[in-house]
Amino acid sequence: MSYLLRRFGHAVFLLIGVSILAFVFTALAPGNYFDEMRLNPQISPETVAALRTQYQLDRPLPLRYFSWLKSILHGDMGFSFANDSAVAPLLIARSRNTLLLTITATLVAWALALPLGIYSAERSGHLPDRLLSGATAALLVIPDLALVLGLLVLAVKTGWFPAGGMASLDFEKLSIPARVRDLTFHMFLPVVALVLSALPLLMRHVRAAVLEVLAAPFLLAAKGHGIPRRTLLYRYALPAAAHPLISLFGFSIGALLSGSLLIEVVMSWPGLGPLLLESILARDLYVVIGGVLFSTMFLVAGNFLADILLYWCDPRIRAGNKSR
Amino acid sequence: MKPRHAVSRWVTVLVILHGIVACAGFFAPYDPVEQNRNNPYLPPMRLHFVDAQGHFHARPFVYAVKLREDTFDQYEDDSRQPNPVRFFVNGSRYYLLGFLPSRLHLFAGEKNRVCLMGSDGYGRDQFSRFLFGGQISLLAGFMGAGLTLLIGWCIGIIAGYYGGFLDDLLMRVAELFMALPWLYLLFAIRAFLPLSVSPTKAFLLIVGVLGGVGWARPARLVRSVVLSAKERDFVRAARGFGANDLYLMRRHILPETASVIWTQLAILIPQFVMAEMTLSFLGLGVPEPAPSWGNLLSSLQQYSVLVSYWWMYLPALLMVPFFLGYLRFASSLQEHGEPYKMEGGVLRG
Amino acid sequence: MKKCVFQSLRSGIRVGALLSVPFLAQIFISSAHPSSPQKNSDEELLALPGELGRSGGRLVVSLRGEPKTLNPLIATDARSREVIGVMQADLVHINRATQLTEPALAKSWKVSSDGLQYTLVLRSGIKFSDGQPLAADDVLFSFRVYLDENVHAPQRDLLIVGGKPIAVRKQDEHTLLFQLAKPYGAGERLFDGLAILPKHLLEKPYQEGKLAQIATLSTALNQWAGLGPFRLKEYVAGQRLVLERNPYYWKSDSSGKRLPYLDELVFLFVPNADAQVLKFQSGETDIISQLGAENFSVLSRQMKSYAMADAGPGLEYNFLFFNLNGDTEKTSPELRRKQKWFRDVKFRQAVSAGVDRAAIVRLVYQGRGAAIWGLVTPGNHRWGDEKLEHPQRSVEKARELLKQAGFSWRQGPDGDQALRDPEGNAVEFSILTSSSNADRSKMATLLQDDLKQLGMRVQIVPLEFRSLLDRVTQTKDFEACVMGIASFDADPNSDVNVLLSGGATHLWNPSQAHPASPWEAEIDRLMQEQLSARTFEQRKKLYNRAQEILAENQPMIFLASPDILVGAKNTIGNFRAVILEPYALWNVEQLYIKNGTENVAR
Repeated sequence: MSYLLRRFGHAVFLLIGVSILAFVFTALAPGNYFDEMRLNPQISPETVAALRTQYQLDRPLPLRYFSWLKSILHGDMGFSFANDSAVAPLLIARSRNTLLLTITATLVAWALALPLGIYSAERSGHLPDRLLSGATAALLVIPDLALVLGLLVLAVKTGWFPAGGMASLDFEKLSIPARVRDLTFHMFLPVVALVLSALPLLMRHVRAAVLEVLAAPFLLAAKGHGIPRRTLLYRYALPAAAHPLISLFGFSIGALLSGSLLIEVVMSWPGLGPLLLESILARDLYVVIGGVLFSTMFLVAGNFLADILLYWCDPRIRAGNKSR
Repeated sequence: MKPRHAVSRWVTVLVILHGIVACAGFFAPYDPVEQNRNNPYLPPMRLHFVDAQGHFHARPFVYAVKLREDTFDQYEDDSRQPNPVRFFVNGSRYYLLGFLPSRLHLFAGEKNRVCLMGSDGYGRDQFSRFLFGGQISLLAGFMGAGLTLLIGWCIGIIAGYYGGFLDDLLMRVAELFMALPWLYLLFAIRAFLPLSVSPTKAFLLIVGVLGGVGWARPARLVRSVVLSAKERDFVRAARGFGANDLYLMRRHILPETASVIWTQLAILIPQFVMAEMTLSFLGLGVPEPAPSWGNLLSSLQQYSVLVSYWWMYLPALLMVPFFLGYLRFASSLQEHGEPYKMEGGVLRG
Repeated sequence: MKKCVFQSLRSGIRVGALLSVPFLAQIFISSAHPSSPQKNSDEELLALPGELGRSGGRLVVSLRGEPKTLNPLIATDARSREVIGVMQADLVHINRATQLTEPALAKSWKVSSDGLQYTLVLRSGIKFSDGQPLAADDVLFSFRVYLDENVHAPQRDLLIVGGKPIAVRKQDEHTLLFQLAKPYGAGERLFDGLAILPKHLLEKPYQEGKLAQIATLSTALNQWAGLGPFRLKEYVAGQRLVLERNPYYWKSDSSGKRLPYLDELVFLFVPNADAQVLKFQSGETDIISQLGAENFSVLSRQMKSYAMADAGPGLEYNFLFFNLNGDTEKTSPELRRKQKWFRDVKFRQAVSAGVDRAAIVRLVYQGRGAAIWGLVTPGNHRWGDEKLEHPQRSVEKARELLKQAGFSWRQGPDGDQALRDPEGNAVEFSILTSSSNADRSKMATLLQDDLKQLGMRVQIVPLEFRSLLDRVTQTKDFEACVMGIASFDADPNSDVNVLLSGGATHLWNPSQAHPASPWEAEIDRLMQEQLSARTFEQRKKLYNRAQEILAENQPMIFLASPDILVGAKNTIGNFRAVILEPYALWNVEQLYIKNGTENVAR
């Protein structure tokens, strides 16, 4: 319990630290949201200056930070210049869509990476392992965007899947099962793209970790006892190799909000990606800071989860902790 | 024995591949920035040995190409104009390995240009661009990945080994580093750099910064390995025998982290090469006309290129052996290392 | 009345859409027609000539992202304006096809002989999209709001003519008087794009100072009413905006049937240009505009159920300019040294002569564009100066000019000729481009190679757009830059702030207190004069002279202008692309879905 409290305290401090530094960074970057108007000859420099004042961009950084903190208490998280509304509701609406996509993709990616990595480790040096290595290397060099575009072209040529978007135009009029079907259809390609882009890294790590324990004496002994291959790999080898994988899983959780930005943009998925990308380039800074804080929360949660899992699944660490 | 053999084999492969890239000037027939505005998006030229009359030639040749009337990018071979390939010819000037001036090229067309991998939208030779582009991209990849891993490794080991307050502190800093919007800092750095700093140097600087701030992930991975390693029986035994921290780290903990580090390295180098695409989108990459792998790949991200110019994918295909080399090198090293053998050794000793 | 286009930035201001046939609008009081809903006998509908269509159906188009707002008082981004354009209407409208003005909410207008007073007569009996009638008070209210300093409406600066805000008076229920402090050359073009606001809905928020907070996307449904062909039906965050037919719309077709034909207009938010192409290709969207040349040729190659159209060069002009800003204490010694070259007119002329514009058109636009030598593009039919020369690229001439200016060449270490200035310094400078604009980056790459042949060493520095803006407009720490501007309107007044030395978009040396050079002073004089000249001929003569001075002095080295490229499904009737914004939806009220091919559920 005190551990949980301590972690919670850490998280709060982290969020404050991140928000302060995010404010500083955004202030350092050249340009601000209203600069674009300077190039619109219909708008006089005075109007631009007046807008800057109205949105308090000319106030000193600490003051802006405190008024932003205050707006968090109202549940606003600052104001989006571009969207003319509070930041928090914008982000929350978009995060749901992103999470739908990324949680599915993360589950699928891990479900594939574990067996493939183990298989590859077991057959290390043989043909299947080499084929998987080759495929991994190829996936590493294909840009995510090219991959997504390729999938989209496939969708258009075959007509099997919609060319991006999240729902059909008549989504609201559909029955519940039809809605689920429609959503699944729209989700398929972005999920495939996300899985393919995450898979090489996960698989390589699973393979490396499992390979390392496969030669361990206890596994040789287990093998000698005639324990079946599948049990050997999944019951004995995998848990022993779990350490780096749990950390990796923590990252997967941490990247749930931030890992799919570009894919969302190309797939016209109404998640955080298009919103954040535009906000970054347009210097809509409270949206960016809000987005950073949202993903920080996931990051903290992911790392926390990883730590808990590490302690829970490794008796040695638990024992070590007690003995100290 | 077999793993050791595999290691040296992959080292040889990697050395050869990198040697070719390092000596790009010699292997590339043309200057990578030389434009040929009449031949944009030229498809790869086929090497022929038998001409239109059915005669065999020992010297390979290509056919001259002709733009079809009223088209922008449609070509046909002109079979009346063979263009033999000459070897060891003098051509554009370059610096071998960056300092030896030379004009000698492995091959070039006798009359017209020979574009083995076709040309890009400005009619520049893709093959030459691929070779020259590897120089800066691989440098950036090594630099970024090396820096990231070095810092991450040190911090991961310290956090995992000493644990307690230090661990907590370092891991919170790691979270902070993972969460910060570095992009804006990069924008700021680019804005503060004077324009007289060459854009390539600016790019390397940006990669350096990216490498410097990316240590958090490897640090967490290393830490988790160290956490479990330090509780292994043989480590506790060694500690019980009075081994000091330095000895324990060097002898028992560090070797355990090798597999994570090598795997990370093999994956991070390609990732840093790819990161350049995002960086160039944000104006932080290697600028035109200098070639880089990131630039070559980012042209693949256009729908029109994807469906019209398949040969723009050839550079990506040629990058696969490099990255496959790293992966195989990493895994064969790992098999070679086999930490559990060492465990036995320690227990016996 | 013009805008700058860089990357995705397209801030439009024009509202609505109108006639499809290049003749004067026919105005007549329409007789009651059985098919038109809720028609009153006193309603003065505007009848449009053109192909008769059938009612019903849905048109789907993609938008590069969400519009930021539906409130014309705060909208400055292109997407908001595109959507607002089909929901609002103006008093006088510029026909996007003929580039001439036409009656809209005002059925007629008169200008006093001194050019200072405009009398507009409102169409009677017409209603907002919520069924409330339009009255002269709404117009008064609208102008009061636009001119209110506290509202910060982007339209305000437009309505200050000759240093004074336009004064509006009501003569009777249908007649309004507009009093200008100075004659305005472009005349009634002024009224285009000024949406008339519903007083009955906005009076209260205006009094409370809350005008800027209403009509966000999620709340606009009951807070706003417009006079455009469509009104808001549904907004799904991040996905789409659905507009429905405004049943009270004030235009009809020539048979008297009330427009628009379409029941629904859907804007899908597709943030990526390639994804837009794919959506169009898969039939999920009906019309595509603002296409790049590459995607246009991909689509043209596989034409089946759609047709592609090249409307010819638009009003966008791309150019290279040098930093000619005056010295400040912040100017670095290096820039000061380089500015000596940049300020030399022969140097700029040499660069212009050495640029291969034909290659830019061919390699950047695949031939779908035009080389330009001035800011009036070939797409602008009335205002181009016919006497302006169009010299082909000539390296010899460029070298001759450089020699005259005291430059010389020295053998470089790599066997190439390096250009030296009279003091013996190597000529090296950097060109900024926006990293997200592929076309302009390509131009810079070609320029770099062109200038290499003159012995200049040019570095391309791609910067993310805001960083570029910051350097060009704020810190003035740059050497040269490639940019593009797309005029909104064919009238010279849309470019006046580029040409006037005091203008904020006089990019090479913006917002000068006094003209820095005699030729800039001369351009100032000519532009001021044409601003209040009364006849087209007078204005044309003055503007021609300004274009010639610009061409002599080359502060902007004009490069090329891209074609407006669009595509539409074969089933869309009355579709015709124009080179003024909005390129495809300018006559949206007349678009219809042909022969029963309903856009069925997708």
